[in-house]
Amino acid sequence: MIYLDNGATSFHKPQGVYRRVLGAMRTCANPGRGGYGPAMAAARTVYGCREAAAGLFDCQPEQVVLTTSCTHGLNIAIRSLVKPGSRVVISGFEHNAVTRPLYGLGARVTVAGRKLFDWEDTLSRFEDALRQGAACAIFTHVSNVFGYILPAPELAALCRQYGVPFIVDAAQSAGTLPVSLKKLGADFIAMPGHKGLLGPQGTGLLLCAGTAEPLLWGGTGSASLCQRMPDTLPDRLEPGTLNVPGYAGLAEGIRFLERVGMDTVAGREHYQMQRCAAGLKKLGMQVFSGPHQAGTVSFLPGMDCEEAARILARQGIAVRAGLHCAPCAHESAGTLATGTVRVSFGYDTHSGETDALLHAVSKFLRQPHAIRQAQPGECS
Amino acid sequence: MKIYYITFRSVTYAQRGERALQRGGIHSTLLRTPRWMEEQGCGYCLRLRTREIAAAAALLARAQVPWRKVYVQNKDGQLEEWKYDLS
Repeated sequence: MIYLDNGATSFHKPQGVYRRVLGAMRTCANPGRGGYGPAMAAARTVYGCREAAAGLFDCQPEQVVLTTSCTHGLNIAIRSLVKPGSRVVISGFEHNAVTRPLYGLGARVTVAGRKLFDWEDTLSRFEDALRQGAACAIFTHVSNVFGYILPAPELAALCRQYGVPFIVDAAQSAGTLPVSLKKLGADFIAMPGHKGLLGPQGTGLLLCAGTAEPLLWGGTGSASLCQRMPDTLPDRLEPGTLNVPGYAGLAEGIRFLERVGMDTVAGREHYQMQRCAAGLKKLGMQVFSGPHQAGTVSFLPGMDCEEAARILARQGIAVRAGLHCAPCAHESAGTLATGTVRVSFGYDTHSGETDALLHAVSKFLRQPHAIRQAQPGECS
Repeated sequence: MKIYYITFRSVTYAQRGERALQRGGIHSTLLRTPRWMEEQGCGYCLRLRTREIAAAAALLARAQVPWRKVYVQNKDGQLEEWKYDLS
């Protein structure tokens, strides 16, 4: 299979990741619960993941909270900063992992900056919204649909300037773009472990500048007599047994990235994205590309996007179609009615695979139902 | 040489402490805190054998690793809280 759905998860993990997962299952018991060998091995494994992440994201190990997903981390962060009725400023490219918790809390949401690949619009709209005051701001670092890299350092500076606490969704950037808790000055940065960081599914990280409100209550292996959750991180946010094999794999994924170099990975993905975007344009597809774009590109295939993805899947090419859990982003781009086909590249994607996709797409044009190009905003 | 136990609020802080001491050339062993040492219940501690506990404390302070208490083994082999101010 040609796997081009790395925005959903990185399906091909480095070999060391598989080995570490299995190794942890064989050698680790419950971390932070006992003093015997396998329990201590588990504690060392978990701490190894925290240390690796802390090194990569410029923070202390206890500021690295292990979560089950980016969504889990975002829920903790949002519930820590947002109360019912709070005004929250978000970018025009947010995922449902941000918008649904806000909706559930009854927050008053202001969407700021909807122009794709336009930093000037993103920054000026965000500043206008922040100027009116907000309990919190949330922005994705990279749009999961369009690969648009938002100007995270500049947005962070605006939030700091207006004294608005903020959360960064690094779901699509962690592992390919520099992310520093210290430099951004964010209150929280949430990310999955299983995408760019190359760990297994069911892993995620929440970087916390300070304390946070627990989403779950339970045993932490510490301060057991106290019925409140411990004040200290990470225990406060990590009740219950951790996914030790998952974090063993995630630590190895991070170490792999450090060996290969994030710049190298980002460069490869960006090259394939550009090659793909150019090829799709030549074929007459409506392609969403521009400056400030990571290794993800969306296009309109000239037929129903789910049908296009099905045809590609039959030819052994995995892409994602539809709304990608981000109606906000589609509304911004005018593709809410059609959705898009998203191609997202990984650290190991090579040009032959990109060319195979282009060849498969070119076949659409020869099919009778592909008689016209769907337009953004048009109902299919 | 005396044996000391430094207790921490969580296993993560104990592990950070272990790393900080290691970087400073002091070997320590991560253990579950004996129940009587931890009034809040479960916890982890570092056991170390050293002549200068103040040097170990300085390493922890420099690495900003907060600890709860320090215990020292007395001549009778009993552990008692180290009363000196290490901060």
